[in-house]
This record gives sequence, structure tokens and C-alpha cells, in this order.
Amino acid sequence: MGVLRAEPARFSDLAGKSVTAAWRSYDLQLTIYAVLLTMVGLTMAYTNSVEDGRLALGPDSTFARGLIWAAVAAVVFVVATIFDYRWLRTLRWPVYLANLGLLVLTLAVGTGVGGASRWVAVGPLVFQFSELAKVLVVGVLAAYLAGRRERLGSLSVIVGAIVLILPPLVLVMMQPDLGTSLVFGAILAGMLFLAGASLTWLGVLAGAALASLPLIWNHVLLDYQRERILSFLNPSADPLGSGYQLVQAQIAVGSGGLFGKGLTNGTQNQLDFLPVQTTDFVFAILAEELGFVGGVVVLVLYGALIWRLLVAAWRSRDPFGTAFAGGVASIILFQLLVNIGMVLGIMPITGIPLPFITHGGASLTSLAFGLGVVQSINIRQARADW
Amino acid sequence: MADIALHEPRLAERRLARFVVFAAVAGIIFSILGTRLFYLQIIRGTDFGTIAARNSRLDEAIPSSRGLIYDRTGRLLVQNVPTFSVKIRPADLPMELRDEVVGRLAALLGKDPADIIATIDASPGSRFEYVRVAADVPEATARLIAESHLELPGVQVVVEARREYLYGPLLAQILGYTGPIDANEYARLRSSGYLPDDLIGKTGVEAVYETALRGQYGIQVVERDARGRRLQVLQTLQEPVAGASLELTIDTHEQELAEKALRWGMETARLKRGVIIVMNPQTGEILAMVSLPTYDDNLFARGISAADFQRLLKDPNKPLLNHAIQEQFPPGSTYKLVTAVGGLADGKITPERRLQTKAYLTIGTTRFYDWNRRGWGPCNLYCGFSHSSDTYFYQVAGMLGIDRLAYWAHQFGFGEPTGIDLPGEASGIVPSNQWKMDTFGQPIFPGEVYHAGIGQGYDAVTPLQLVNAYAALANGGTLYRPQVVRRILGPDGSVIEDFQPEVLRKIDVSPDVLRTMRRAARTVVTSRHTYNLVDLPIVVAGKTGTAEYGVRDAHGHLPFHSWFVAFVPKNPWKRADDPDGMRAVSRTDAELAVVAFAYDAQTLGNVATEVVKYYLQLHYGISKDYRKFNLLERTD
Repeated sequence: MGVLRAEPARFSDLAGKSVTAAWRSYDLQLTIYAVLLTMVGLTMAYTNSVEDGRLALGPDSTFARGLIWAAVAAVVFVVATIFDYRWLRTLRWPVYLANLGLLVLTLAVGTGVGGASRWVAVGPLVFQFSELAKVLVVGVLAAYLAGRRERLGSLSVIVGAIVLILPPLVLVMMQPDLGTSLVFGAILAGMLFLAGASLTWLGVLAGAALASLPLIWNHVLLDYQRERILSFLNPSADPLGSGYQLVQAQIAVGSGGLFGKGLTNGTQNQLDFLPVQTTDFVFAILAEELGFVGGVVVLVLYGALIWRLLVAAWRSRDPFGTAFAGGVASIILFQLLVNIGMVLGIMPITGIPLPFITHGGASLTSLAFGLGVVQSINIRQARADW
Repeated sequence: MADIALHEPRLAERRLARFVVFAAVAGIIFSILGTRLFYLQIIRGTDFGTIAARNSRLDEAIPSSRGLIYDRTGRLLVQNVPTFSVKIRPADLPMELRDEVVGRLAALLGKDPADIIATIDASPGSRFEYVRVAADVPEATARLIAESHLELPGVQVVVEARREYLYGPLLAQILGYTGPIDANEYARLRSSGYLPDDLIGKTGVEAVYETALRGQYGIQVVERDARGRRLQVLQTLQEPVAGASLELTIDTHEQELAEKALRWGMETARLKRGVIIVMNPQTGEILAMVSLPTYDDNLFARGISAADFQRLLKDPNKPLLNHAIQEQFPPGSTYKLVTAVGGLADGKITPERRLQTKAYLTIGTTRFYDWNRRGWGPCNLYCGFSHSSDTYFYQVAGMLGIDRLAYWAHQFGFGEPTGIDLPGEASGIVPSNQWKMDTFGQPIFPGEVYHAGIGQGYDAVTPLQLVNAYAALANGGTLYRPQVVRRILGPDGSVIEDFQPEVLRKIDVSPDVLRTMRRAARTVVTSRHTYNLVDLPIVVAGKTGTAEYGVRDAHGHLPFHSWFVAFVPKNPWKRADDPDGMRAVSRTDAELAVVAFAYDAQTLGNVATEVVKYYLQLHYGISKDYRKFNLLERTD
């Protein structure tokens, strides 16, 4: 099969350029926005660690673990930047299989809340391989699309991409993790669209997906997933039941006002009215304690970050680079839409982390890896003059 | 690899379009999120701020310590003891956990889970207000519950002050008790700062003086977390003000003597219900008031069980009622005071004018018998009153007519509550033409006037009204409002309010008439109508009553109550210069007025007289015992 054809990586490009030239095409803005967002996340970890009544820097506090993961992420980011991204393209099939292997491993030995298998213990830390899977799938898909540029208008490329993404998606769905499997869908849609796939066929497939929603509702979704969606549609029907989080999250956000209650002063947060403050609902705490101003700053940072990713995608003369950067942008855009939308009460509850800010090592290091690859793409291109 | 995109115009155009659309979608997403954020935080910010504050802050009452109650000699009657109560805040108890949590709690408390659920559901407050599900919880249990708060969300153990009534049943009818506020009381009092799980005086002095005893609750703002745990007091908005204390007119020692006398009489005569009231006729102060059977008010203060409460409610002798004031009975011959005073004051009779008494009087074909079915022949007032001649008083009543009789009854305070500071007082019945028309739509029949004149028929009085009327006779015509509380004292012992004797009215009659009636009442004793009461070393005057009621038995006899109402002049010890005590009773300085009431007396002698006699023996320390013990046998 053609898809199994591997292309050798080349070392010549970077070696032929001076470090200064590489630095010139390095996107410092992209790094700065990502670092700032990570610092916002650490700040939220800090405010929640204080709430726990422990020393914020205590070895087991959310904040301390956040710092460790940030350091790990920084290393991953730098290493990914230095490595030639084309290795990823060359090794796409081993990477793809390793990715599936890790997801199967997660199903086999993973732990999670309420019988789910999402986390795998790695030494003292737990790791969620489905987070890494998002970025790896972006890489594999980018390689696939880059090799089929001439046939992008055909249905076969789209179907091929779907076939490619289906195994990891199903494995994640079995954990069960509806949110992450939706991210795979977003990656697929975003990358196909940016790569220039046939709009007609994309439209037809999207229509088919919509038409199959009742089937998915009845046969794929689990009870708690249905309940979350229903409670999203009418949160006040049962304010102390499953709508509780939604209602309390909106109270937290709304009560923040223009400038917020101040860090560590959010009553919804500190008094535990809001569950999962450090993970899925972290933006509610941010809005409560830092206010509208803080929320807008974070949205602007995300906007700037996505802008830089699109610039990288545009600038890349290698179609793999274009597709990869577009895929990372799709991940971040979709996740922030669903996560913040959920907190603000305009999206149903799904366990999707807020990129960089939600506390969690897997999410942060995977994103660092993705951004590192994007920088690697950047410095291996001549600066485009637009 | 070729740079196809840059070199082929069509593809490059398409590429740009896709990027622009992607960026536009991102822009739309950010606009939506930003707009929503603006709506929630800026437009609705104030609303949500209020909700968040309500989430985390709680205005909590700081209970004040309830005032104490002392008797007139300074003896402590009620104190507050700290106890553990278990409360639930329904808002903190998730519905799906409710059965489980309540089951666990019930097991710890040794209660029925259904009772706890019922208590929660019956709470008059909202889901955000505490419900007391158990009071007086043993300390070990309280600790266990407090320590397992993680398994018992919404459940709290609090220390509360409970009332402890040091004399229990002896004073229960007067003191009453406190208990959980009910829905009606809460609806009425929530604006005055009462809480849905508050304690409130339910009856007796505790209820009447609720406002003074309660004091003012303080208010504090506490911060609480989502599990309802109170974290800290943020601010004290208002300090609590301790309740005032009460000093009763009751003398606990006299209460004990009166109860002892009544218990003896009831046991001797096998009575089921009885009353004795001791009053100072110069002030209207109640020194003792006993209504038997009684109950232990500590049962209520500790949170009475449903079984105990049902037992008290279903007891045919109504231990929860204070029969001294809350029930009314025909007064019988004691009421002849009213008829006599009316006859004398209206000039229908004079003390010496004799009326012919006989076996019976006739109206139409109906015979109205004298009680001894013989009569006493020609008989003046002293003769008629001391022998309690019914035919004498039929005639006087006939001369007065029902409305004048009613007028004089009202003068002595009958037919309306005395206004004593105890709840639920009955008003009694004084029949008149108007009353009969209003009640039955008919005028009074002449025979009913006869009955009204001897305290039968429609006449109904409370024991308190009767002793108050004789107290007015004894003090020369002043009708006082009886009272059980003398003073309200501040927490530091200062007098906040001093209840001076309150005059209801001066009876509209000349002092001579009342002096005549006091002498007549003394004649009741000296004529040995009350047997050996005259032999006591003290001067006692009074009037007996045998009041028939109900339905005739197989022998044609009606059941009856026995009354004796008496007064004792100041310095009552008999003197050689006043051998029959007539000079003593001519004065208006009486120091005691006593009534005894025996419900459904089975005796032939008058058990009420024996009770009063025994009480006076105890009160005055008369060592010789004049009591009769053969009350169930026929005597002279």
C-alpha cells in the first residue's frame, strides 16, 4: 500500500544554515504566548493549592506538581524544536503503531474515575496517553496529507484520513472519553479543511455524521454522557444534581465582575462550591478571581497563539509543516471553545482540558511537544516575505 | 519537494481562502466567548455576586440565654442546661443521599428513620434553614455523630440550652414549658427574629412572658463551605441580649402544702381530678395553684416522644389542662354569695327578713326541691346561707330576676376571664335573657332563674373566678386581677417591671352588705354546716358547694362536684373576746382566700372542705389533726 511508503529524513537543511539564521525564523511570539498561558495555569494551580490548606510549595500540592510538569514541558519543547521535524514524517508508521499501543495499554492498566481507564501511572506521576495521542495523530495525518497533495479534491483522501484516525478515536472512546474523541474529529475536520480537501465531500460527510447523531445518542453514548448533555440543555432543572456544576460555574464566573475577587479570594473556588476547580472548570476560577479583565487577557493570548500557528502553517513551504501547524491550531481552538464554552454555559459538559491552563502533565507536555515541532518547522523554513 | 502552492495560482488562491475562513471561524469563536464573558461578568455580574455571597455567607442567629424563673422567696424554679442537639440543613443533604444519611443517623440516635424524615418535611423553614431532628442527645452519641460528619453531609451537632424545671410536675401547670416552634407560630413570629428551629414558650408562664424571657437574639455572619461546614465568623452584626428573669407570686412551699392537701383529699375520696388555689385577697397574688392530675414539663423540654404525648392527650382526666383556669364547672351553692349580695343591694331582702323555706317550690307543675327535701321553715339570710337553703335562694333569685342576678355575677367577675397572666383561661357562663336569646333563641324560663340563683343550670365558673370573687368579699369589695408573676428582673437582678396589684373593679355595693355576707360565711362554719371546721384554732369563713352535673344514674342521682371556698382573716387565731370570730370576719383584712374543687366527688361529706381544712392546718402549723378520713361513708 502506498501509505506505507516512508520518506527518508534529511539533515541538510538545518546544517546548511547558521544558528543565527535559524534564530531569525524562530517564532519568539509563539513561545512567549505559550509560556504566558502556562504561567496562568500555574497561577491557578497556586490559588487552588492555597485553598487546600497546604503549603503552596508543599511536595504534594497541585502547584508543586504543576511546576514539575512545566519544567518537563520546557525540556520537551526545546528538544522537539532542535530535532528535525521531518523525522516525525519519516517515522509516522512506527509512531502511529506506538500511539495505538499506548492507548491499548491505557485500556488495559489505566485507572480513572468511576471505572474509566484514562490514566497510566508513570513512576510517581500519572500520564494520560490520549493527550499525547492528539498530537501524534496530527503528525501522522499531516504526513498522510502531505503525500497526497495532488489528490486532495477526491473522496478517497478524505476516507483514507478517516480510516487513519478511526482506530485511535475508537480506543479513546472505549476509555470512555467522549471529549478527547471529539477532539480527534476536530483535528480531522480542521486539517482536511486547511489542506484544501473537497468542500463538497466534507459537507456530505458532515451531513452523514449529523444524520447518525440519533444512532450515536442511543447506542454509543453512556448514561452519564447523555445526562451531561441533557443537564446542559436545562441546567436549573436539577440545580443540585448534574446541573450543579454548570450553575455553580456560572455563579463563579459572573460573581467575578470586572476585576475579579483577587487571587485566592474566590469564594466559589475556595469554599468548594465548584467541583474540579483545577481541571475542567479552571476557567471559572480564573474568571472569578481575575475577573473579566483576566478572562479577556487569556482569550487574547489564545487568539495570538492561534494566529502565530496559522502564520507558521502559511509560511511553511513543506505541506507537512502546514498541515501539522494547522492541526495543532485545531486542537487548541476546539478545546478552548468546548472548555470555556462549557464553563460559560454555552457548551455541554465534556471532560476536555483547557490547553496550558488545566492542571495536567500529559496535556501540557503534549502541547509543548506539538509547539516544539511547529518551531522546528519554523526554523527549517526560509522566512516568507508576506 | 516542490512548492506547488506558491507556484500554481489556483491552488494558492484556494489555500489563502481556506486560511482566511479558518481565521474567521476562530475570530467568531473568540467573539462568542468574549461576549458571553461580558454578559456574565459585566451585565449579570451584580446578580451573580449576590448569589455567590449567598452561597458562602450565612446570617446566623446567636441565641440569647433565656431568662430564669424564681418563686416569690427567690427559689430557682427553672434553669438552662447545655445539651447536644442534632440538626440537619436540608440544602446540604443531597436528595439521593437522604435515605442513606438519615438511616445512618437514625441508627446512631436509636430513632426511627421515618420520624426523622417526617421532622425534616414538617419544618416550617426553607431548605436552607436548620431542622432539629433530635434534642438532648447523650454526649457519646453526639461525639460519634460530630466525628462522622463526612458520612453525614448536612448533619450538625450543636450545643443548645434546654430548660430544666427543677420542680417538674409540682409547677408544670403554672410554668408550662418550651418546645420547638410550629408552623403557625413561625409564620407569625419570623419577622420578630424567630428561627424555624427555634424554641418557644408553649404554655404557662413560659408562653405568656415569652418576649421578656427570650431576650434578643444576636446576628452573626458566618462563612461556610459547600458542605455546609462553618469556617469562621466573619462579623457580629448584633450582640445577643440575655432574657429577663421572672419572680412569681407563687410560694413553692405553699404550693407543696396545697398539693399535699389536695393529694390527700383525692386519695382519701378516690377523686380523679381536683384543684386548690391559694390567693392573697389583698393583692390578687396567687400563692399556690394546683391542678391534679398534672404532668412533668421536663418531658416536653427534653423533646417529648410521640407515645408519651399521646398518652397525656388521651388521659381522660386531662393532665395537660390547668383545671383551675382552663375549665369551667357549675359552682353550686358557692354562687349563693352573688344571689344574696344582689338581694341585699337591690333591697329585695334584709339580713333579718325571714323567708319561708320548705321541701320544694312549684312553678306550674314542676317542683323545685330544697337539697334536704324538708326545708328549714322561716329562715333569714344567715339561716339560708349557712344551711345553704335552696328554697330560700330560689325566692331571692325570683325577686331579682335573671338580669339583675347576672349584673351581680359580673360585679364579682363571673362570666369573663379574670385576666390572670396564664394562657387559655375560660370565661365561665353567666346566664341572662340576652345570653339565652343569643345562645338558644329563647327567653329564660322562671325555673332557670331559680337554678341560676343556686349556681346550677347554666351557671359555670372556673375555680379561679370563684376564689377571686370570695377574695373580693374578704377584702371589702375590691376585685383584683389575679397574677402569678410579680416582677420582671434584668440579668443583673435589677427590677425591669414591677406588677402592682391591678384593680378590676370596686364592687358596686355598700360595705355593710359585704360585711353581712362575711358574717354569713362565718355562720356557715359556726353552724357546723362544715362539721368540725369550726373547731380549728383559727377563724375560717367560707361556703360549700355541691354542684350537680351530667346525667342521672340508675337511682336517679346526679353526679356532682364538691366545692369549698374560704377566707381567713389576718391574725386568725381565736381570741377570748371574739369567741365566734364574728369580729374578725367583720374586718376586711383577710390574708388568705382558698378554694378547693373536687371533680365528680363520690363522697357524702364535702371533700373540698377537708382539703381546705388540711391545707390550713399545714399552713398555720396546727399540730392537732381535724381531718375526717371516712369521707366515703355517710356522716351526720
